[in-house]
Amino acid sequence: MTEIPMLLATSGFDTFVQTLFKALALGSLYSMLALGFVLIFKATQTVNFSHGALALAGTWFLSMLFIDWDIPGRFIPGPSWLHWGIALLLAMTVTALFGLIIERLTIRPMIGEPIFSMAVITLGLEVIIRVIADDAVRLTPRALGIPWGSDTFSLGGALVAWSYVAAVVMAALVFFAVWRFLRTRTGVAMQATAFDQEAALAQGINVGMIFAIAWAAGSALAAAAGIFASMSPWAAAGVASREGAFFAFRALPAVIVGGLDSVVGALAGGMLIGFVEIFAGQYLSSYANILGFGYQQVIPYVVMLIALLIKPYGLFGTEEVRRV
Amino acid sequence: MKHLSKLLAILLAFTVVAVACSSDDDTSSSSTSAPAATEAPAETEAPAETEAPAETEAPAETEAPAEIIYDHGVTEDTIKIGAIADLSGPFAPLVVQIIAAQQAYWDRVNANGGIAGRDVEFWVEDNAYDVPTHLERYEEMSDEDNGVVFLSQSTGSPHTAAIAEALVEDGLGAIPLSWYSGWPDPAFGQNVFESYTNYCYEAINAVDYLATNVIEGEVKLAVLSYPGEYGQDGAAGAKIAAEALGIEVVYDGEGAVVPGADQTPVITGLTESGANLVWVTTGPSLLAELMGGAAAAGFTGTWSGNSPTYNYMLLATALAPMLDSSYYQSTYVLTWNAGDTPGMADMVSALQEAIPDDPVSDAYTIGWTEAMAAHQILEAAAAAGDLTRAGVIAAANATTVDYMGLAPNQSYGGEVNDYIVRESYMFDIQADLFDAAATISGGGSTGSVLMNGGPIVSDITAAHVYEGACFTAG
Amino acid sequence: MRGRPNLYTSYSSESRLFPTRTQQVAIGIAFLLLLLMPFDLPVIDQIPLIRFLGDNSWLRIVNRMLIFCIAALGLNILSGLGGQVSLGHAFFMGVGAYTAVLVGGPGSANLWGWGLPIWIWLPASGVVAAVVGILVAPAAVRVRGLYLAITTLGLVFIGLHLSRVFPEIAGPGSLGRKWPKLELRLWKEENPILDFSRDGHWFWFDISDNQKTYYFLLALLTVFALWAANLARTRTGRALAAIRDQDVAAEIMGVPETKYKTIAFAISSCYAGVAGALLASISGQMPPEAWDLILSVEFVAILLIGGMGRVSGALAGTFFVVLSPRFVEEIIEWMTKQAEGDGAFSGLWDSIISLGSGDFGIVSISETALGYPIPYSALDEIIYGALIVIFMLFEPLGLYGIWINVRNYWKGWPFSY
Repeated sequence: MTEIPMLLATSGFDTFVQTLFKALALGSLYSMLALGFVLIFKATQTVNFSHGALALAGTWFLSMLFIDWDIPGRFIPGPSWLHWGIALLLAMTVTALFGLIIERLTIRPMIGEPIFSMAVITLGLEVIIRVIADDAVRLTPRALGIPWGSDTFSLGGALVAWSYVAAVVMAALVFFAVWRFLRTRTGVAMQATAFDQEAALAQGINVGMIFAIAWAAGSALAAAAGIFASMSPWAAAGVASREGAFFAFRALPAVIVGGLDSVVGALAGGMLIGFVEIFAGQYLSSYANILGFGYQQVIPYVVMLIALLIKPYGLFGTEEVRRV
Repeated sequence: MKHLSKLLAILLAFTVVAVACSSDDDTSSSSTSAPAATEAPAETEAPAETEAPAETEAPAETEAPAEIIYDHGVTEDTIKIGAIADLSGPFAPLVVQIIAAQQAYWDRVNANGGIAGRDVEFWVEDNAYDVPTHLERYEEMSDEDNGVVFLSQSTGSPHTAAIAEALVEDGLGAIPLSWYSGWPDPAFGQNVFESYTNYCYEAINAVDYLATNVIEGEVKLAVLSYPGEYGQDGAAGAKIAAEALGIEVVYDGEGAVVPGADQTPVITGLTESGANLVWVTTGPSLLAELMGGAAAAGFTGTWSGNSPTYNYMLLATALAPMLDSSYYQSTYVLTWNAGDTPGMADMVSALQEAIPDDPVSDAYTIGWTEAMAAHQILEAAAAAGDLTRAGVIAAANATTVDYMGLAPNQSYGGEVNDYIVRESYMFDIQADLFDAAATISGGGSTGSVLMNGGPIVSDITAAHVYEGACFTAG
Repeated sequence: MRGRPNLYTSYSSESRLFPTRTQQVAIGIAFLLLLLMPFDLPVIDQIPLIRFLGDNSWLRIVNRMLIFCIAALGLNILSGLGGQVSLGHAFFMGVGAYTAVLVGGPGSANLWGWGLPIWIWLPASGVVAAVVGILVAPAAVRVRGLYLAITTLGLVFIGLHLSRVFPEIAGPGSLGRKWPKLELRLWKEENPILDFSRDGHWFWFDISDNQKTYYFLLALLTVFALWAANLARTRTGRALAAIRDQDVAAEIMGVPETKYKTIAFAISSCYAGVAGALLASISGQMPPEAWDLILSVEFVAILLIGGMGRVSGALAGTFFVVLSPRFVEEIIEWMTKQAEGDGAFSGLWDSIISLGSGDFGIVSISETALGYPIPYSALDEIIYGALIVIFMLFEPLGLYGIWINVRNYWKGWPFSY
């Protein structure tokens, strides 16, 4: 009987191309997540542990907007993918507003408290947001209506999923936007606030507004990253689910490696960790017995530990100057 | 400081004296009901067989309540049945639906007069999939004054294993929500009354069925599973089938699928192995990642897996076309509204009355059949006049549970190799039958179409001599 | 002048563990209550809030609370006294637990275990965890603040991975293996001298397994708590406090940073190891996934809610965090009874509790609820998160801070403004 033909990448080069695209995609997702962490940390000196929960909330909002309420489809005619793009931006905006509310209620009163306390408040928020959002998405898993689904295209002999390309494009757009923003007046004001809050206040910068903008931007980025991490062939396969929430914790090594307060570091760290994870997963898979199954989960943390031992504030982070 | 060391010295002396004066007994306090247990089996043999199979709802008014002896969990008016379920942890969405079906069943039993003239009180507690919490809930339920007479559900393998010894000491029986192949083993789960077949046998049945009926040409098997008792039990079954059928296992990923990690190494190994049949023992989101990732790498082959690996809700994701064309679902019980059996018709109509606005799900069958088993066991115990905990255990060991076609009939007494359930079910996926917004009131389907017209059983499974779990911890 | 706190007339009186007469009497009474709590004694029965904690079904959760107290005290030494942020406490608990099962558990074909008695495996779990803590400490010297927090977070994942690499020690994933029980033997004989895991008979009364375990854990906790409280007034404790407040200045003054940070990690890991071994032992079976980030975060929350840096804070925080889910359930049950009954305020309770589908309410008692209204099993977690947020916003010193405010109010009354 004839064998079922396999459309596999048979050559090593094709495998490399496939791996490269997957690594670029994962690196982009990690970079987006890291950028969200970094923006919030730069402005408010808080590590936002609720980033993952905000990502989950973002996917929930997109599902509600696009699938349940059919916005903007019911107002604007046009192709479905255009509506999805607009819904994506709307979901990011809603999440940004959500982040603003959180900032105003819980972070603003904490200015002046030790950093650890602020980080722990975000831990508490994480539990609350995750439980509520989880509850909402669990009963009926909510589809996200992703225009390209799980389609792939071939590049020579290699098969590449469209969602990989989408992730890279989104990350590029996001980083470009942030880069342009940091050159505007408000962006420079944010950098000044990050450098020295009191001096910025003395210069007449509205520090409160800077905090608000940072949190809003960070939340919007979390939503975007969460949505793009929910596509097939990542674990969530195109629905809003808790996999999107826990995905954010995988980006923590990327944040640390790059440095908690460096935008360039977010990009570098995210890409580095993404590449290491995928390439180690691909090319070390035959050693899985020795390394132990699941080594791919631990490698980012090992890389992080090595990077920290060399540069304790991350590759691009600003060293803390301590005065006695 | 002097005061401190004096205090410590006194404490130490007191402890030494206490140790010297203490003694422990090994027998538990519930051993007082041992005499009743020796009498019960002689009585339950005859009546149980004639009463249990036919009725699920007829009131047992023939037995006057005053003649039934009882100890814990039963009063003149109520019978308390417990369920320790995962209501807020990783399996909550499914378990909540299972409990909803059980609740509907017990409500119907009460509406029809209860058991032996008593109302059934169904007490559910949450264990959040945490072992210490499970033990705390068990402590509440096994309490002699306020506890239950039987546990119709105990969620989780480690959790049930943690209470297995306590169940024997307290003389309580429990139905586990886990299909590890160790539960039929009397040394491992004496008072654990498992439902349906187990991960191992299910895998053997399915691999044999697919290799014989679906795959054309030489079969090359790949095995992917979680580490741990669920994943490796299923993988063990697939390997038993492969060995017996002479199939080559070209990729052995037993224990290689680690939840929460990127699955590139596994996908790579799978696609490079040239397999055409993949047996997966994981959960639904991992299945999605593996199938999607493998397809993105160009893999085409047939997929199947143990029952908890697949969730009909995957048909709402981008994966639906692939599931329709390449996935075959294996289960222990009939899926929603599939098959043409009196039990399914009964359940569907009952749930349409009780919870018509809830979404359709495959999980209701599990809860319904659990409640059926508990109900028939208690009816048998009541018929024998002994609703003590020990009496219920004895009745369970002597009853055959008739699921009315929803699952293969089940009994617990006698020789393990005689009563262990070996059949499972095989389904083909048809995505267009599934509607994410469908509710119970419309009947509908979860997209699974029964193959073979009924349960399947492989010759290997039928001939297998059960000597303990397929996958042992040690 | 006698009895006023913070007024010390001699050095020895300042450094005493319980300086004021009030404290000594209060601790004495509290200890006596704790000893007598599990029993049905006439006097204790009259004290409403304490007695029910001794009931059998509550004792198990109280035992878990005692074990968590030990672990929280350890983290308090590291984070509260030493100022080192650590999210890896669950990792050290896991190390202790796996040492215990390796040294004390029964060996078999697939599992390693040496079957040694408790007086070897319990101290061994502490010692091995301390050694691992010493190995981890140099990273803490190099890395500070939030970077250290995330580094210790990495430990949890590495621990989880190692448990998969060594199923011979940890048992298969998501099943785990059986832990040695709390029994005292001399050396591997058949019958233990003292068995805390089964019902028995002491002096003239019957005692259940939970009650025996309670006393054993209470004794251990007393020893550990006294050790932790004492640590703060020794040279080591003062060195740690100096490092926490201003480590550069401390180093200049002659407090070697590396040495004391290592000591802090060692002691804290020892506590965590013992607590992990005990938790696994009373649970009987723990899957490797139990030692996860959520457990670590729970201890951080305990310290913050209770009050960082104080032994009483750690104990109060543990009591609050471990028992509050159960309290919330009791309150909800009580509210449900009120809503179902005809009491004066039953309407009020009915509006809060949703008795079934279609009934209005914020919280649903139906076990099969998901989504809105909030099922009460999700309510536990939401309250837990909300407590963290509220305490951080309004009382950063935690329960200890609330106690100080109350005490100062009454001390200054009627001039409390």
